[in-house]
Amino acid sequence: MDRYLKAIPPRAWYVAAGLLLVVYPFLTNDYWIDVANFFGIYAMLGLSLNIIVGYAGLFNLGHAAFYAVGAYTTAIINTTFHVPILWLVPLSALTAAGFAYLIARPILHLRGDYLCIVTIGFGEIVRITLVNNPLGLTGGPNGVLGIGRPSLFGLIIKQPLHFYFLIWAFVLLIVLGTKRLEESRIGRAWNYIREDALAAAAMGIDVARMKLLAFVIGAALAGVAGNIYASKMAVISPDSFTFWESVVMFSIVVLGGVGSIPGILVGTFGMFVLPELFRGFSSARMLVFGAAMIAMMIFRPQGLLPSQRWRRAMVDETVGLPAAGLSKTS
Amino acid sequence: MQEFLQQVVNGLTVGSVYSLVALGYTMVYGILRLINFAHGEMFMVGSYLALSTVSVLGMGQVASGSLGGILLVFLISMTAVAGLGVLVERVAYRPLRRASRLAPIVSALGASIFLQNAIMLIYGTRFKVFPEKLIPQISWEVGGVKITLMRVVILVVSLLLMAALYTLVQKTQLGAAIRACALDHDTARLMGIDVDRIVSLVFIIGPALGAAAGVMVGMFYYQINFVIGWTYGIRAFTAAILGGIGNIPGAMLGGLILGVLETLGAGYISPGWKDAISFFLLILILIVRPTGILGERVAEKV
Amino acid sequence: MKKFVAITLLLVMAVALTGCGKKEVEPIRIGVQGPISGQWAIEGTGFVKAVRLLAEEINNGGGLLGRPIEIIEGDDKGDPKESSLVAQKMVASKVIAVIGAYNSTATEPASQIYDENKILHITPSSTATRLTEKGYKMFFRTCFLDDRQGLFAAEFITKTLGKSKVALIHDNSTYAKGLAEWTKKYLEERGATVVFFDAITPGEKDYSPTLTRVKAIGPEVIYFTGYFSDAGLLVRQAKDLGILETAQFMGGNAVNNPDYIKSAGLDAAKGSIITTEPVPSDLPYPEAQKFLQDFKAKYNEDVASVWTPSAADAFRVIVEAIRKTNSTDPVKLAEYLHNELKDFPGITGPITFDEKGDRLGTIHKAYIVNEKGEFVPYK
Repeated sequence: MDRYLKAIPPRAWYVAAGLLLVVYPFLTNDYWIDVANFFGIYAMLGLSLNIIVGYAGLFNLGHAAFYAVGAYTTAIINTTFHVPILWLVPLSALTAAGFAYLIARPILHLRGDYLCIVTIGFGEIVRITLVNNPLGLTGGPNGVLGIGRPSLFGLIIKQPLHFYFLIWAFVLLIVLGTKRLEESRIGRAWNYIREDALAAAAMGIDVARMKLLAFVIGAALAGVAGNIYASKMAVISPDSFTFWESVVMFSIVVLGGVGSIPGILVGTFGMFVLPELFRGFSSARMLVFGAAMIAMMIFRPQGLLPSQRWRRAMVDETVGLPAAGLSKTS
Repeated sequence: MQEFLQQVVNGLTVGSVYSLVALGYTMVYGILRLINFAHGEMFMVGSYLALSTVSVLGMGQVASGSLGGILLVFLISMTAVAGLGVLVERVAYRPLRRASRLAPIVSALGASIFLQNAIMLIYGTRFKVFPEKLIPQISWEVGGVKITLMRVVILVVSLLLMAALYTLVQKTQLGAAIRACALDHDTARLMGIDVDRIVSLVFIIGPALGAAAGVMVGMFYYQINFVIGWTYGIRAFTAAILGGIGNIPGAMLGGLILGVLETLGAGYISPGWKDAISFFLLILILIVRPTGILGERVAEKV
Repeated sequence: MKKFVAITLLLVMAVALTGCGKKEVEPIRIGVQGPISGQWAIEGTGFVKAVRLLAEEINNGGGLLGRPIEIIEGDDKGDPKESSLVAQKMVASKVIAVIGAYNSTATEPASQIYDENKILHITPSSTATRLTEKGYKMFFRTCFLDDRQGLFAAEFITKTLGKSKVALIHDNSTYAKGLAEWTKKYLEERGATVVFFDAITPGEKDYSPTLTRVKAIGPEVIYFTGYFSDAGLLVRQAKDLGILETAQFMGGNAVNNPDYIKSAGLDAAKGSIITTEPVPSDLPYPEAQKFLQDFKAKYNEDVASVWTPSAADAFRVIVEAIRKTNSTDPVKLAEYLHNELKDFPGITGPITFDEKGDRLGTIHKAYIVNEKGEFVPYK
């Protein structure tokens, strides 16, 4: 099967995907357009997390925090100062990036799993802060309401169809941007760090700075997704930025194939659209979902469409466990 | 002062539950370098099984269930959950032993979601209530501090179980094998240790201790629901890291410290910020002393 | 092992898919949306159970206007994003009315979509004031706004009980926080002091840190505005700490549930007071008792919370509107509910809607838990 798929030239794939993207909304109803809209938002989140987890190899299970910072920045500034939504895109990216800079700096030296738990911690701290309504800014558990709609050349974006084109334009931009990034010097440096940080440092790569850069860029893009989410929903509350959201984003990256852009899109499909298809049998839905996550990892631990670079890394890894020393007393 | 002492007593009770659950995280991490996200669910399943046993045995009818009956509840729940632990390891973790580090995290999250929803489907969505008179309602007042019997039981049982585990790991041959596996799988295998068996053993001990904690939480608070695995799990994991992950005395110490600090934070600062305080503390500890209180060095040299 | 996992998985999916195929001739479709999975699952399943029970009854009696009623479920997990998807899906499946969502944050995005598509929308439980302030003609609620109960509670504490030092505890949910804030406002207007005002984290088991603090402050009344499960834990731990000897424990209408007493234990629960809509056994309508009996008979459990009968009422007013207008046009139904429905005998008391879609009147009462573990009117 793989062989036949590979026989199709990549350009044909892009053309087909592009066509489908344009035609899709005219073939379906509002419900399916909205499914595609949220698919797009999650794809953005997956792509942004991919920079941190996939490229730089930093385990981040608290990505919802950056998403939340972006969304709340947009929501608060738009509702208090009535700044148009789309103008707030760079600002949301900036605040999320700044926030990432502040929290990532002291924790970057932590080893994989510890980073994982610390990011969970940050994610929860952000959510709890939002609930506790500091300075009366975040509206507590109710969240912020009455967020404006974006407008573009005089057209107020309100209908699912309008959002569809806005969201997918952003997705496309992010795909192109991350693609460039992946192939740049920075992308290769990340790749090197992920495989062997010590050797990378020896080659003159500023490891700490590069890791920080991955966090900052990833967070900025999550902030952009937050901006769009806030304007799409018109109301946001801490319920939308729970640990569960971080789990979904993380699983998108791993299920789809770490470090691979097409993989992220497939992963988003698996984590978001498939459960949507099974909405009919509500109560057992999550049970199947959990089982599917395990099964996926057993059958394809490298993800559905892993990147070439990671694929090589997987094969080369002969020892399953890192030989780091354990506690003497245990 | 009276208030402060009462808070410390409150904290020690929750803290010893965290310690028991933390042991499961710390042992699995020590052996497999895996954050077993499904471990919190073991605790939860233990609690539910205790409830089923109690109702099957009809212990709700008898005023204060007999000591033997209660021991039986512990035994059944711990055994069954130990079996579940081994099963989860076989199905969700063993096939991934040599995969990248990311895959087991997702698999563990999947196992957690699965177990939680399985319990929800079996027992229903509403919370379940333990019979009221299972444990005699005795309480003492020491210098204005109220101490109930169940608080004493939780602390004593936890300390006993932890002491037993510590002896097992430190003083027996089996314990030496566990320690060898924690250091290096391949060398352990060369020394003639059946690593898979040791891994299974760890997945028996950890979940059994978690189940014991689950049983006591059910008896103490009366009511359980299918999401307690997550709330207790994340704190217990925090406790394990606080004490130094992979380190058994560390998990015990971490649990008690977290329990007391969290309680004081909730009492004197604000209950709304309680979890934020414990996470903040965790991050602070990891930044200042990345090894945890008693643990290994975890930072990479960069 | 791999094969085994794969086959089981396929089987589960196959079973699930075959379950969704049935079709009937031109039924009246009514949607129910709420958190069917996740931490609020108990409330969402409560909605579904209540509505299905009543729909079945009608279908067994030959349907409505000669047409059967089809119930369409939507699981929004209490999440606004999922909720807007559920709403779009409801629109696509051509429902005429939707009952739900549970929490205000999930109800809000849905109400907009239903209003745009002219679908009747009744929430049984979202009490946030802002929901009815957008001028949506299709939106109603069968629950009361927080402020009316807050007013009642403040009156009760200051006048009936004659107490003035009050600790207010909520759980940071929109509903409980709103009720606590209104109660605080009305208490202070009546010269009482609120000595403690803070939230517990629902779902947690150990509230003794908060209670130990409260004990040191020494209020005369502790009023908890959150849910019965947390109330059960609170009152029991309060008893263990010896607080109940000096303070009266009170709960809001979300504590009105038999499971409150079960989870607290009778020893701790007896003597505690709740402010609530009249308990069904206290209502002069046979409908109320019949509903509770039928519910118990069908599901072998009591209703999960006050919101379950409230969802049943939402369904019953829809049915009433369809019968009286002899139509299934949502706009006509909404007009009927706004203008003509007066003192409809609901399970939760008489129902009248105002022009905004809010439920009128206040019918709150105080109940005390007696020695036998029953809620009896406080005299």
